[in-house]
Amino acid sequence: MNKWTRRGFIGAGVLTGGALVVGVAVRPGNPVDKLRGDVASGPGEELVNAWVKIDHDNTVTAIVPHCEMGQGAHTALAQMLADELDADWAKVAVMQAPANGFYVVPDTAREFVAKWSVDAPNWIEPTYNGLFTQVARLADVMITGGSSSVRTTGQHTMRMAGAAARHMLVAAAARKWGVPEGEVVAENSLLSHKASGKSATYGEFAEAASHEHMPQTPPLKDVSQFKLMGKGLKRLDIPAKVDGSAKFGLDAAVPGEALRYAAVKAAPVPGAKVEAINAEAARTMPGVLQILNMGDFVAVVADGYWQAQQALNTIEASYSKTDGDLLDSAMLRARFAKALDAAGDAGGKSLARRGDAVGALKGAAKKVTAEYQVPFVAHAAMEPMNCTARVAGGKCEVWTSTQVPLMARSAIAKALGIGAEDVTVNQLYLGGAFGRRLESDYPVQAARIAKATGYPVKMIWSREEDTRQDFYRPADTSRFSAGLDAGGKVLGWNNVFTQLNDPPGSWDVAHYDIPAVSIRRAEADMHLRFGSLRSVDHSQQGFFIESFVDELAHAAGQDPFEFRRSLLAKSPRHKAVLEKVARMAGWGSPLPKGTARGIAIVKSFGTIVAEVAQVSMQDGRPSVDKVWCCADAGYVMNPDGFAAQMEGGIIYGLTTALYSGITLKNGAVEQANFDTYPMVRMDEAPDIEVAFINADTRELGGAGEPGLPPIAPAVCNAIFAATGLRIRELPVMSHFA
Amino acid sequence: MSPPPLRGLVLAATVALPLAGCAKKAPDPIEQIVVRKPGDPPVVVPLASTDPVAAGKRAFAASCSACHAASADAAKGVGPALYGVIGRKAASVPGFAYSAAMKGSGLTWSGPEIEALIANPQGIVPGTSMNAGAVSDANARHAIVQYLKTLGPKG
Repeated sequence: MNKWTRRGFIGAGVLTGGALVVGVAVRPGNPVDKLRGDVASGPGEELVNAWVKIDHDNTVTAIVPHCEMGQGAHTALAQMLADELDADWAKVAVMQAPANGFYVVPDTAREFVAKWSVDAPNWIEPTYNGLFTQVARLADVMITGGSSSVRTTGQHTMRMAGAAARHMLVAAAARKWGVPEGEVVAENSLLSHKASGKSATYGEFAEAASHEHMPQTPPLKDVSQFKLMGKGLKRLDIPAKVDGSAKFGLDAAVPGEALRYAAVKAAPVPGAKVEAINAEAARTMPGVLQILNMGDFVAVVADGYWQAQQALNTIEASYSKTDGDLLDSAMLRARFAKALDAAGDAGGKSLARRGDAVGALKGAAKKVTAEYQVPFVAHAAMEPMNCTARVAGGKCEVWTSTQVPLMARSAIAKALGIGAEDVTVNQLYLGGAFGRRLESDYPVQAARIAKATGYPVKMIWSREEDTRQDFYRPADTSRFSAGLDAGGKVLGWNNVFTQLNDPPGSWDVAHYDIPAVSIRRAEADMHLRFGSLRSVDHSQQGFFIESFVDELAHAAGQDPFEFRRSLLAKSPRHKAVLEKVARMAGWGSPLPKGTARGIAIVKSFGTIVAEVAQVSMQDGRPSVDKVWCCADAGYVMNPDGFAAQMEGGIIYGLTTALYSGITLKNGAVEQANFDTYPMVRMDEAPDIEVAFINADTRELGGAGEPGLPPIAPAVCNAIFAATGLRIRELPVMSHFA
Repeated sequence: MSPPPLRGLVLAATVALPLAGCAKKAPDPIEQIVVRKPGDPPVVVPLASTDPVAAGKRAFAASCSACHAASADAAKGVGPALYGVIGRKAASVPGFAYSAAMKGSGLTWSGPEIEALIANPQGIVPGTSMNAGAVSDANARHAIVQYLKTLGPKG
């Protein structure tokens, strides 16, 4: 690893063939030509990060370091780059950046440390960016997660690269035509000079532009100058997904080689080892080539996937004993309760402390307490975990759908005992991920099978395996107590829970005007592997906090919307979002008996989202008929894509709220397929209306996750309003069996 | 490496990101059974040449196991677990979401009843959710039942 010493921020060059490439350069002056290997053809060691390529034929290619898992990032990022470049949208293409370590996304790392605004002081940019690039590279940060693509990479890399390329094209044209730069117009991928009547395509000047000075911090457009940003442009990936030509992980092929197929089953209790297998029946079954006890899992490799899976189903395995062998959900819950009991009113690790919450509760006219629980939740991506791998000559190549190609590369390298440079990760479309594909367990499994058998292998998990070997959203218990004065004003808020993952502050209620707050964590061991599930800790904290706020409103004898509105007196952006969603939903207008509305508001990943759910009771079961959603993400780059993300977050959140419950028996997950782990389907999908407020064009919020957290409490609050039943434990439908 | 003053801060913050690079080198397989090589003829084990329970187990593996488990402690599958099925009333595994047709069938699973069902599930219980798994070979059906008889508490 080279020490970062230069101030260089962006660099440019020309590819053989005359294409201009502009990007964030770690070491300016390196021949961009060497990028050819990855973004054009042929092998080569690349030295520059490049984000935009302009070919002779006037095609502009945005090279995007994030994966496309249905969230529309490829389109939004290309849109931002093309707007700053003043490119013709019809001539814009997107390319997935290769996972070679040079397309790390420093902005994602940076988001976690020092948030930046689009107009951060110039002097700080090179140093900070260089540092973060280096750190990102060390940590293999080529991540798609944290609802971050648009607000970090888009805002700070794609726009910058587009603006710099535009500046260089204009400079090249001005030089050639002998006219002042200020008189050259760049528009729709064309350069023109009015007085002389000269014009040319960007492509014609691509090579000349590469010799021009590259501005280190090119001026970016003001929102009044946006032509593509802020428009609901059609998704670039959709046509291929409609005509079937799009390639997902499951579609992977190894060029020129016949694939064999692997089915796998890991030890059902976390930490257990496969001690012995009885494969007597499997070895006589059709298509079977090899049967493997890999220590932590069993694999069958066959000519076809179904043959491998059928043979695997017949294998009896014995597992080593673990401490968790007898654990069930009730015991885990008791473990959480014990930790919370021990923490009491003031124990545990303090996360937020403002004023004296315990004292405030003592003097309150009314005290409200409640305990909430959520179960483990599995991601259940429609494309099950899978990976295609080939290992030969000390090198490994995989084809897979992942959110973290560089981490997958490192994990494979370590598992096989080879260098990261000997591992190639080919990225395909993701058939859903929701955080599951932030883990690299499945690429490692495939690589190990390929190495052991010598075959190029496509490993596919069964749905059952996918449900049982997830990295789950943690189960948790959260206890609240709050005090109200005689007028219903909240005097104190005391909260303690057991599980903490990410992002920081998911538990906070700072937007509410409450004088005394104590929020604590009482740590309790988990059992299953946990990971990030769409909106991460907000998925449970949104439910806990916004359900309890609703309880306080009812305890105060106030309307839940008005109650929140007065609590948000010092948070004008929250208040505006809440008021808008209430107007959209016709809050307060009469509804038929058995039908009611519930409201909730959560800020996550930089975006404030308020939702109203309208629920009716049908044959004794709740039906979510309509959802209104209002969001303030600062500025929405693609309204159509943004609305789709809100809708997707709401539907996914409805599944977790209504149905998702992973339970344990004898240390293992009980659920397996969609019969025991159901999801919201089309017939249950509510009408959803989405609106947004553009309140800050400089610091943006995310889109992929923030739609989720408010839906569970909005639905539960509506059920309370309709029936008087307060749901304090998810999933909802477990109360209406 | 990064300049030291900020490094601790930065790395502390990135711990929140999933770090997959900390795995050790994976061990080699504990057991590797090479059944055949690609292109080799399939392994043929004629049904008649082995005892009926073993034959039934293989036939069960091929025709039934995708949906039905054979052990008592198995998690719920697409179909109910068949541990102790012989002599059991239809639609009687607790917690399994049977079709109305199966619940109303009034059947009790004797060997011949099972053989009849798996010859033609929709013919015996019209409307059952079991819309796969018919076994066309009568010898295989008989063998499967011999195997099912071995599943369940002894005595």
